Amino acid sequence: MYSIKDKIENILMKVAKPARYTGGEINSIIKNTKDFKIRFAFAFPDIYEIGMSHLGMKILYYLINERSDTYCERVFAPWVDMENMMRECDIPLFTLETKTPLKEMDIIGFTLQYELSYTNILNMLNLSGIPIRRIERDFSPLIIAGGPCGYNPAPLSDVVDLFVIGEGEEVINEILDLYADWKDRGFNKEKFLKEATKIQGVYVPSFYKEEYNEDGTVKGIFPLVEGVPSVIKKRIVKNLDKSYFPAKQIVPYINIVHDRIMLEVFRGCTRGCRFCQAGMIYRPVREKSREGLLELADKLIKTTGYEEISLTSLSTCDYSKIEELIHDLIEKYKERGIGIALPSTRIDAFSVNLLKEIQKVRKTGLTLAPEAGTQRLRDVINKGVSEEDLLNSTKEAFKAGWNTVKLYFMIGLPTETMEDVAGIAYLAHKVADVYKEVRGNTKNLKITVSTSTFVPKPFTPFQWFGQEKIDLIIEKQNLLKNMLKGKIFRYSFHEPHISFLEAVISKGDRRVGQAIVKAWEKGCKFDSWRDYFKFDVWMDAFEEEGINPYFYANKERDFYETFPWDIIDCGVKKDYLIREYNKAMEGKLTNDCRLNCTGCGIKELDKGVVCFEAKK
Amino acid sequence: MKLRNRFMKADNLRFISHLDLMRVIERAMRRGDIKFSLSKGFNPHPLISFGPALMLGATTHGDYFDVIIEDNLSPQEFKDRMNAVLPEGIYILDSYEVGEKDLLSQHVKEAEYIVKARLFGELKEIQNKIEAFMSKDKIIIKKETKKGKKDIDLKPYILNFKYISTDEGWILLYIKLTIAEGSPGPLYVINAFNKFIGDKIDTETYRLDRKDLILD
Repeated sequence: MYSIKDKIENILMKVAKPARYTGGEINSIIKNTKDFKIRFAFAFPDIYEIGMSHLGMKILYYLINERSDTYCERVFAPWVDMENMMRECDIPLFTLETKTPLKEMDIIGFTLQYELSYTNILNMLNLSGIPIRRIERDFSPLIIAGGPCGYNPAPLSDVVDLFVIGEGEEVINEILDLYADWKDRGFNKEKFLKEATKIQGVYVPSFYKEEYNEDGTVKGIFPLVEGVPSVIKKRIVKNLDKSYFPAKQIVPYINIVHDRIMLEVFRGCTRGCRFCQAGMIYRPVREKSREGLLELADKLIKTTGYEEISLTSLSTCDYSKIEELIHDLIEKYKERGIGIALPSTRIDAFSVNLLKEIQKVRKTGLTLAPEAGTQRLRDVINKGVSEEDLLNSTKEAFKAGWNTVKLYFMIGLPTETMEDVAGIAYLAHKVADVYKEVRGNTKNLKITVSTSTFVPKPFTPFQWFGQEKIDLIIEKQNLLKNMLKGKIFRYSFHEPHISFLEAVISKGDRRVGQAIVKAWEKGCKFDSWRDYFKFDVWMDAFEEEGINPYFYANKERDFYETFPWDIIDCGVKKDYLIREYNKAMEGKLTNDCRLNCTGCGIKELDKGVVCFEAKK
Repeated sequence: MKLRNRFMKADNLRFISHLDLMRVIERAMRRGDIKFSLSKGFNPHPLISFGPALMLGATTHGDYFDVIIEDNLSPQEFKDRMNAVLPEGIYILDSYEVGEKDLLSQHVKEAEYIVKARLFGELKEIQNKIEAFMSKDKIIIKKETKKGKKDIDLKPYILNFKYISTDEGWILLYIKLTIAEGSPGPLYVINAFNKFIGDKIDTETYRLDRKDLILD
């Protein structure tokens, strides 16, 4: 009696934030669905407000829709209330644009932004009536995945048909061309995938086998068929200024996490923090020209009407023309009330001066990330900032009128002692003293100290470390809780059990993938959401699959050990990572690679790869 | 210059809140290159004010918002430029200038609604049943207030209530209500009436449209 559209409409009144599921936003793309050879669903395995804040989706959505043979639509994980209604009313997961069931798509592309969204991927497939394991699926829809977590593809190897390693905008058209070609010829999944392995950056897990040593470590990832590459090299955009960036962005009706224009100023990071995966896998640094950015900003404001532009990158103040860029943008748009946001800033007086300029239009918060509480530990992680930098910049900020500061730290970092942890609280108290010095009292001052738990990540100098045991993390958090009492301070911290699971999966192999499926079967989803995280269920799932999660999360690794992600070449060489590991242990700093080349190896990735240093 | 705008909001836009709508209009003005006045303060925002809030899920064909603009645009020009850039589902029907000190909230007195709901089975002589319902001295309902539930009499608020038509299992009803501080919305009327006739209306799948706000 009811069409899927009617059915959806009937349940929307009964769920929270129905506009998550309606589509139709400004700049979303409506095409006639009959005209397309390829129907592509860009799938984000979390809720709308998070997925819509993701820059990669904005780029790929428009890039794919530029093709005349493909229609790219969006799909997000429905929140629990919506999922329950959908299951009750027999509504399969559908695309936002045309309310087409996902099962009717040719390709579903998941973006892997964090490990704890993996159960959501399984749940989204199940909600679409699509078998979870690739061996149980026929060719359609083809499940592909990419994004930072894809650099360790092992845990999702039984689910995903094809991984894209590296920057999607560089590869996706080649994959779609090949797909279109096969669709004309009559599809053969095996043959299509075999051909796809010839595209640099494509990893097809079904053509490889993971083998293990007796001690449980990985022996290797071996090709099962001839002619597939033994190492998958990542793909990168060589000239970011010339690469595709849309002049439009979808403007949601409801408030999303980052509800503003996202203008990417450069990609990569030259700082070399040793815990940071993004800083390694997104190398080399590639800047966009200031002229190009100004032009793009203008177009984006015209097409979206947004009141704020955020200049995004891993460390925006490192952009070589940052002062000029911000000055130009402010001069151009302040009359219209359009503000500039710098989501990723460093803690020096220079950035505070920039923030002062910026807040003339719109007041922004002051967020600083010293990461560790003592200089010794900041040197271990190669966070090249000093206490003096921090205190000077907060002083400037307090003088300029700020009275709230957020300080981000990590706990559980390699070599960390209780003294380092206490250093976090001392630092916060020193910031309060600075405020008192400037303003005479601490009335109105609010300092938020926030700690996350260190998770060792693939392709970082710290990948060989084990994560600290949960008990000790809790002890450290309690220490900070006690040291940060009073009206001025607010202490917030990550749930250590969630960080533990993140460590298990980020360093996981294919066996961990089995446990992910098991955990989902037992009801796990939205694992990064504290209220939905079910630690005990996860532990049961590991046990039932015969997996020791502590082996993955907490064990220190040997330099000679093979990792499940060794099948991937991210450009940064292992010997560089080992060198950095050793320097960390000696507490030695490595300079910013803009000053001189630190020899990470990225320049040898491909012909024509030029990093910042080499350009000078 | 202050412009008063009568607008409609239908389709998917009925699922956005009052606050969301304000952002939609602000961003549309920017896309339409309309210079609007901004509030002072840390986070400047446009000086827009709306009539009484509409519940999430309801459509409207006659709501109003006021906005102060700095351009010397004719109301017609404002309307045209906005309609060119507003998302599908929201449309400015009429725009006219009012005095800067003229407040929309002081003009809104009555509202008309159309309720469309599915019927369980058949319902005969609806108009008679409505008349019987309306002939009661008092229609006492429980209304959610900030302080909890409170008994109130609906009757004085109902200016008109009538049956329009039935179509393929859907019933259409017309309700006209007084708008005042704390006055109950049309769903209270529907729910009370549904109770009166013994649960014949599927209140889970109703559609509510504010047909018009009546300004004095």
